Amino acid sequence: MASTVIGAGITIEGEVSADDEIVVQGTIRGKLEAREGVTVEAGGVVEADIVSGPLTVAGSITGNITSSDRVDLQSGARVVGNVKATRITIADGAQFKGNVDMDV
Amino acid sequence: MALLTVIGRGVRIRGRVTGEADLTIEGHVEGEVAVSGDVTIEAGGLVGANVSGRVIVVRGAVRGDLTGEELVRLEEGSRVVGDLRAPRIDIAKGGLVRGLVQTSGSVGAARPAARARADAPAIRRAPAPAAARPAPAPAPAPVRAAPAPTKAAATVARPTPAAAPARHAAKGPPPPVVPALKKGAKAALKKKAT
Repeated sequence: MASTVIGAGITIEGEVSADDEIVVQGTIRGKLEAREGVTVEAGGVVEADIVSGPLTVAGSITGNITSSDRVDLQSGARVVGNVKATRITIADGAQFKGNVDMDV
Repeated sequence: MALLTVIGRGVRIRGRVTGEADLTIEGHVEGEVAVSGDVTIEAGGLVGANVSGRVIVVRGAVRGDLTGEELVRLEEGSRVVGDLRAPRIDIAKGGLVRGLVQTSGSVGAARPAARARADAPAIRRAPAPAAARPAPAPAPAPVRAAPAPTKAAATVARPTPAAAPARHAAKGPPPPVVPALKKGAKAALKKKAT
């Protein structure tokens, strides 16, 4: 099944919940819940709290992240918010401000 | 070239979707969709509010108005409860619609005077609610009379009949003009006569 792609020109203001993967190239404001996985590509802007499975970020996220799996911040990512995950990587060049809780 | 956005089958959005891209909806969107590109609502897709876009193709369900800048197409399996407004409307066999179907220029593009004229300028006409429920019929529905003072429109020089399809919708002869008498006018006339 095709994953959901929120293209670059699209802005969603509200709650998004998905049963499969979401790739964000546009803007989401509100709340994002995707059990499978979320990829925020460069240029993607998420101003929302995110609840997801694995999360890969190369864009901008402003909001708390709760992941049931791993969170990867790639170079160019900009994350402001608390992160709760089981594993996390912050690549060189990523910007991050917030708490990290790995449920230790 | 407008980029493609796909809202997949398992996705549920409770909020507005706006933007300048093409949009394909296979999931549920419970808020307004207003994009400048094409909108395709696939079978299984569900939109609970108004949709506006350039070319709107519906194969799923919509509860809300569809406003297309160019075209609104309802394909087989589509179910729409709401108005359709576009210069071109295409309802394929099997498409279901309940609402006003209006083929006309998009708002702003049509000559407003021509629309207010509505085939019968001098007549103060009550709005026509009955026009709102055509079956998916090929005949273009009558243009709804503008609530703005039609008298003003009458004084506008009648423009040459526009090429838009709604103009030559055969509507039959306009209802007769009956000037409304002021209260007591009859009595006043009688008095004058004596």
